[in-house]
Amino acid sequence: MISLNVNGKNYSVNVDPGTKMLWVLRDILQLTGTKYGCGIEICGACTILLDGEAQKSCDMDVSEGVGRKITTIEGLSPTGTHPLQKAWIEEQVPQCGYCQSGMIMKAAALLQQNPNPSDSDIDGEIDNICVCGTYQRIRAAIHLAAKG
Amino acid sequence: MSNTTTLPAVKIDRRQFLATTGGFLLAFTLEGGNKAANAAGAAPTVNAWVKISTDESITILIGGSELGQGAYSGLAQVAAEELMVDWAQVRAEPAPAAQSWVTGGSSNIRAHAQPLRVASAAAREMLIAAGAATWNVPPSTCIARQGKVINTITNDSLTFGSLATLAASMPVPANPPLVPASEYRLVGTPVKRTDIPAKTNGSAIYGIDVTVPGMLFAAVKHCPSVGGTVKSVRTATGSRAVVNLGNAIAAVSTTTEAARSAVSNVPVIWNIPSSAAGVDTALYITQAKQMMVNGPALVAEQQGDVTTAFQTAAKTLEMTYTLPYLAHACMEVLCCTVSVSPTGCDVWAPTQAPGWVLGTVMALTNMPASSINVHPTLMGGGLGRKIEQDYIAQAVKVAMAAGKPVKLTWSREEDMANDQYRPFALARVRVALDAQGNIKGWANRIVSPSILFQRGWIPGNVVDTQSTEGGTGLAYNFGSRLTEYVRHPGTVPVGFWRSVGHSINAFVVESAIDEVALATNTDPLMLRQRLLANDPRSLNVLNEAAKLGGWGTSLPAGHARGIAFAASFNSIVAEVAEVSHPAAGTIRVHKVAVAIDCGSAINPDSVEAQMQGGIFHGLSAALWGEVKFTNGVASARNFSNYRVLLMREAPVVSVKIIQSGAPIGGVGEPGVPPIAPAVANAYAKLTRTRVRTLPFFPGSGMSDG
Repeated sequence: MISLNVNGKNYSVNVDPGTKMLWVLRDILQLTGTKYGCGIEICGACTILLDGEAQKSCDMDVSEGVGRKITTIEGLSPTGTHPLQKAWIEEQVPQCGYCQSGMIMKAAALLQQNPNPSDSDIDGEIDNICVCGTYQRIRAAIHLAAKG
Repeated sequence: MSNTTTLPAVKIDRRQFLATTGGFLLAFTLEGGNKAANAAGAAPTVNAWVKISTDESITILIGGSELGQGAYSGLAQVAAEELMVDWAQVRAEPAPAAQSWVTGGSSNIRAHAQPLRVASAAAREMLIAAGAATWNVPPSTCIARQGKVINTITNDSLTFGSLATLAASMPVPANPPLVPASEYRLVGTPVKRTDIPAKTNGSAIYGIDVTVPGMLFAAVKHCPSVGGTVKSVRTATGSRAVVNLGNAIAAVSTTTEAARSAVSNVPVIWNIPSSAAGVDTALYITQAKQMMVNGPALVAEQQGDVTTAFQTAAKTLEMTYTLPYLAHACMEVLCCTVSVSPTGCDVWAPTQAPGWVLGTVMALTNMPASSINVHPTLMGGGLGRKIEQDYIAQAVKVAMAAGKPVKLTWSREEDMANDQYRPFALARVRVALDAQGNIKGWANRIVSPSILFQRGWIPGNVVDTQSTEGGTGLAYNFGSRLTEYVRHPGTVPVGFWRSVGHSINAFVVESAIDEVALATNTDPLMLRQRLLANDPRSLNVLNEAAKLGGWGTSLPAGHARGIAFAASFNSIVAEVAEVSHPAAGTIRVHKVAVAIDCGSAINPDSVEAQMQGGIFHGLSAALWGEVKFTNGVASARNFSNYRVLLMREAPVVSVKIIQSGAPIGGVGEPGVPPIAPAVANAYAKLTRTRVRTLPFFPGSGMSDG
């Protein structure tokens, strides 16, 4: 059994320690907001927070999450009103929306480290893929959230 | 009240009473409606549904799909406008699959807003009539406001929900008055899309997120070669079931990851046909070059005397352009969930064609349509790939074999290597110029595999208009023109990729126009202005893009601009790209200015988003997009060798929306076609190197960051 703390709740899951965190979250804990995109840590759709730092979960062994504080998009804010979530709505960022959980988690980690990022800070840090091409609005929404 | 725009007649088809929830449902059919869109065949195509329930809910049922383009929200805006209700009051849900339509050709709003407008107005008039009957006053003394019918004499009011049952018995008006554009409260305004909040908190359910009690998970592995099949397969450890899918195998297990592991370990022997050796893109290009000369060429379009134009030309130019196969690479891989029992089948799928899904399931299960429920889900991008039925059929077969509900999810590698690709193409443009450099003749021959022929939808002696669109019907005045099509016999599966033929032909046409400008020492904008002199609407779009993009104004050192123009899906678009060339093997696209005339914009914010998205999508393809085949095996495996644009590479896109009042045009696709030529034209200006073969930088990949 593997013990995990996800979004403030404790879980015990009966999986092999090498099972990837993404599939434990999605298929076992049914936290499907974290998405599969590439499986090779490029696209970032699977981004979660591990002790507050952005982490791609698709190639991460679930055992690496033991004893850490795991946050998924569902746990970013209990009411869905994190400044980034509000900014995402205000700027009407998502199109298909599939990558946006990962984008928001990545942006949340960025703002924790750098509360007032410049355009180039954002461009340097946010390297998740959005095939719909919402990048311009993502940048605007991060600035809006940073303003509080 | 009347609408000033001439629009297709809408015929009220029938109405239904809602036995379960109470209220009424109006179903409207566009006169001469598109029967081809309805694959199930049994039920008539319904273009608009409006449901007024006794619980005060207002629901519109939409036969199309929400891929992220904002169609559901835009159509709800139209309904809320005519129903005189607040924006938040209308919900949009998928219509029954049997009455759905295929979401393609940027058609959801342009084809369906008007029937929905009439349906909503009719529902409003029936509610007003019900209120008037209740008060025993003439309907002309009653109005609808914010979900209520108001008696303007007494100021009494009754809610829509309380009137719904009576309203259902009122005559359905054939010609209900429509809200005039001058009184629009919602249409034309940037209301906040209703689907967005759920996309910021993880609660939006995409196809890949569907969970059914007792469900198992399946993974699939295809034969690596085009045309290959399963020769033999044995069961594997760690798998509940292994299913032979003909050209692929699937394994079923308790998680997606376990199923993937199982499918990769299944002992399978593939039967690879000898023809696979001929499925080779280098060979295809060689064949296409021969076919360019030898044909057989079919005439797609001919105007004027092209032969004479070339015989009498002072100068002729000839350019050949080459475009690659492209993968769709939707963020959400192909997936489908199926629950099948002896008496019925439920299918949850991200699909652009729910009616086709119904047909697929009927054929595989031998069940009648009435036993099958298709549940279209949100889609993590469709881009034309989710019109197809391959992944649906697989999931049905696997669920039938497993005897339990199954969610089948492709890996990214399977998704990219088993796509139905944007066709490759070779196009040769010949231009006849007179002594003053004016274009007198234009001849374009396109060699490309046919999407429609490959599916058996057209015979071999017919032009595939999907291949030639964007090469024919050009607004330019060329004096004379000939556009021909040669069908390449390639067997790589080809399909509909955002903007389809336009994605190919705009690059060809707009690059060639620029080459003419260069050869005749003419400003590329001015040349296009001359060629569009008799088409004020197109000319206006071109000029607005040029203005927005600062055409002719000074630029930083090492920067250049390129312009391109393309009309598609009833919208007209021009784009100006500003690029630099910081190092060999790179281009930086700094800015793109785009002007679109889509007739009118229901939600300008969505139009802007679609222009940005189309440009970024087209730019990824232009710079890096390419799938090659060797021995029938696709090169694309993952984003590691199929690169797409990142935020730091994305240009700033500014959008000018022109609302000319012309019939409403599409917006999901028209942003794509002009970007590749706009960048190529800028690059040629900057470097004096003309890129005639896409992508700009073949062989580019990405790595984990």
